[in-house]
Amino acid sequence: MRFRKPIVALSAAGLLALAACGGGDGGSSNNGGEKVDRETLGNVGSGQDPEREGPVEIEGAQEGGIATVYTQVGLTTSIDPSDLYYTDTSAIGSGLLFRSLTQYDRDPETGQMVLIPDLATDLGTPNEDFTEWTFEIRDGVRWETGEEVTAEDVAYGIIRSMDNKTFPGGPGLYFSNPYFLGGDKYKGPFTSGTTEQEAVSVDGNKVIIKMSKPFPDFPYYGSFPAMGPIPEGEDDPDEYALRPMSTGPYKIKEYTPAKTLVLERNTEWDPATDPGRTQYPDGYEFKAGVQIDQIDQIMLGDKGEGQTSMTYEDISAQTYRTMQNEAPDRVVTGTSPCTYYYAPDYRKIKDIKIREALMWALPYNDLMVTGGYIPEVNAFPASQLMAPGVAGRVDIDLFGHGEFETDPDKAKQLLEESGNLGYEIKFPWRTDNDINTKSKDVLIKALEAAGFKATPVATTEAKFEGDIIDNPDSEVNVRSGMGWCQDWPSGSTWIPPVFQSVDIKELGQFGTNYAAFNEPEVDQKINEVFELPAEEQADAWGKLEEEIMTKYLPIIPYFHSGVVVAHGSKIQGYEIDNNLGMPAYKDIWISE
Amino acid sequence: MAITPAALEEGVVADATGAEPVAGKSPTQIALRRLRKDKVAMFCAFLVLVMTVLAILAPVITGAMNIYWDVSHPDAPTGSEVLDVYGFPIIGPPFNGFTWEHPLGLAPRTGSDNLAYLLYGLRTSMIVAFSAAVLSTFIGVVIGLVSGFSRGWVDRVLSFITDMFLSFPSLLAMLALAPIIVSHFGGNLDLLGTVQFVTLIVILVIFGWMSLARLIRGQVLSLREREFIQAAEVIGVPTRQILFKELLPNLIAPIVITLSLNLPAFVALEAGLSFLGLGLSDIPSLGKMVSDARTYYSDYPLFLWVPVAAIGVLTLALNLLGDSVRDAFDPRTRR
Repeated sequence: MRFRKPIVALSAAGLLALAACGGGDGGSSNNGGEKVDRETLGNVGSGQDPEREGPVEIEGAQEGGIATVYTQVGLTTSIDPSDLYYTDTSAIGSGLLFRSLTQYDRDPETGQMVLIPDLATDLGTPNEDFTEWTFEIRDGVRWETGEEVTAEDVAYGIIRSMDNKTFPGGPGLYFSNPYFLGGDKYKGPFTSGTTEQEAVSVDGNKVIIKMSKPFPDFPYYGSFPAMGPIPEGEDDPDEYALRPMSTGPYKIKEYTPAKTLVLERNTEWDPATDPGRTQYPDGYEFKAGVQIDQIDQIMLGDKGEGQTSMTYEDISAQTYRTMQNEAPDRVVTGTSPCTYYYAPDYRKIKDIKIREALMWALPYNDLMVTGGYIPEVNAFPASQLMAPGVAGRVDIDLFGHGEFETDPDKAKQLLEESGNLGYEIKFPWRTDNDINTKSKDVLIKALEAAGFKATPVATTEAKFEGDIIDNPDSEVNVRSGMGWCQDWPSGSTWIPPVFQSVDIKELGQFGTNYAAFNEPEVDQKINEVFELPAEEQADAWGKLEEEIMTKYLPIIPYFHSGVVVAHGSKIQGYEIDNNLGMPAYKDIWISE
Repeated sequence: MAITPAALEEGVVADATGAEPVAGKSPTQIALRRLRKDKVAMFCAFLVLVMTVLAILAPVITGAMNIYWDVSHPDAPTGSEVLDVYGFPIIGPPFNGFTWEHPLGLAPRTGSDNLAYLLYGLRTSMIVAFSAAVLSTFIGVVIGLVSGFSRGWVDRVLSFITDMFLSFPSLLAMLALAPIIVSHFGGNLDLLGTVQFVTLIVILVIFGWMSLARLIRGQVLSLREREFIQAAEVIGVPTRQILFKELLPNLIAPIVITLSLNLPAFVALEAGLSFLGLGLSDIPSLGKMVSDARTYYSDYPLFLWVPVAAIGVLTLALNLLGDSVRDAFDPRTRR
């Protein structure tokens, strides 16, 4: 899943997932100052409970109140369910607005996310080789208009997700089209102009989805809002993105992209049909574009409206330090199965020695302290893409590189040996972002000390994504601070999105392969892993990652991320959905 | 040669009291003599001089003390060497004792030296304020002179322009203009720093010349009807000469006064604009230091007090000095 967090020093876009097999513990979110268990960041959400039924009640919870949620960069991406693939909007969408086939719920005892049914009565029934999934759709679920949600609505939503031209930001490109039968040819209702296709069919109240290859992880994919109902005929992509219709406990009262999202109670939502969601607060008010400093002050102050406020932006290190002493119960830490990395442009930086030198040159500790990250709280050492705890993951020894190790001499030596001394690294710099401006200085110093020539490419916060990150023709050759989060704990949601080649010319952007990594051999091997029996895939992904990282080093891992957020004193039940690294909205209520 | 009323007055007074005969002193000389006797003015002048010298010698001082404001400097300590995991310095304030290595402490998060940043920030402040003051004075004088001396439509047009700029919401205009100018040159990184710097000065000048222009125009209007100007016109002195030789010397007082009072205003304005995040993204500025330090006030008050004190002392000294200059040049004040 694309990563949307307070990209402090840098910026990120990323993906997220959960382990297809194996139980495992740890990775839970905990209040206050305890250290987070960093061994199991990715091993989350693997629990399943197909029997769970609604309604959900939280003991002692009160109704009423409006929760204000502050964010710096949020709400800039589409909230159309088919186009929704960023962690922040996914958490809001899944938790409050859009119902889908399945959903996650946080187990208060283990702190783990558990996959439970949502619109479907169970977690789906596969055929023998996982090439056909059947979901029985629940009765009594209504749209916010009061109309019944039918199996046809759900089927249409699923078909709509295959339109990756209309919804280039959505998950369909990575899951619907590659896995669904005929997904390579059928381009969706808007692009192909018809809903006639082979994959999705309806039989009474059952939705049947046929696969082109085994897809044992489908129940996890079913938790994406894209795998939910869409009202056919009322879903013009441009208009629907501004006012999508709700099936969850809240509906949209007011929405201004990049600014505010105001939610109010959806009276048509019936708790008896929903095994996961609750409806305690009267509404939510999301405010985007608020500076981190301001958010920190609101959280620290805990005055007036601040008491019913929360944020999903990481608080800064100095605020964490103060709150640890003064109000430890208002700090929430947790994990997110996300990895930040530097993405050297594979088309431009062709020599692996340069990428290795870059790995040794990066000033990990200095960047973290300038960026406001707190090592071992929201930044854990990384030497690979997959977060610890993902099934089948191999601990990779990356050319002997230690935890957050910076060795300019070694970098210089590598550059000298390969005849690249003075190689010019061009990286983005947002001139109107103070912290980014400071990080830029830190990076320049480290790169020059390692024998690189460092050239920041000036841009602004507003143009950063369009001009640099998603623009294959940008002059930068290293995209800094990219991020990816798993969709579910399987290598299949890490390796293909980040390392599978993308036809940049046709797509006009990188997709999610920000390093523009392109090796036919790797593409071939990725396809081979998909052909393997389900139970062998986990180990195969682990091995493939090791091979990719040690043979090509397409990305420079920066850190695996954690979450450290805060809330006002009247917000209750704020815990981290460690599958998204975002608030578990389903558990929140407001005390008087 | 024109004789100003002020000089005549002084001369008359001196003769009337029967004191020593007055040698031919220009009004400026008299003003300077009066200024020298003003203790407050001398103390402020001394302060300004010290700060100017500090600013000029910034590279020497930081070099000698081995401190750096620019963390990308190869010899500067890296963040992880001098900061803890929360971003606070592990040597010097706020949590450790005073150290001569970094007398004013280190900035949290980056580890740049506060003293070094302060010195370079002073430099920026002074260069910006001085350039802006001189330029706006020049423009104000030129427009005031031309508008006051030329009757008819030139005067009307210039007065209209002056009024228009005066009535413009200048702060809003500055906020809106700065990013536009910067984005125009944003592509070229080498140019960007210079452009931001020049933009700041230009913006200060654009909205800083009007009051002087009005003042000068008023003075010229009254002087124009005086006998010595009319005499000059009658005997056919060229206009240029009338403007520069006859009128300008009589305008020294308002010009010097405006200049000296504009300086502190521009220092404060530069700090304010930088605080609001305008212009200088990569050049040290006291205003930006204040902006950075805000969020650290509860834990690290020194970090905020350093730039605030520097701006305060500089503007206060310049203001008091400006007041004294005005008093010295104003013939109506007597001490």
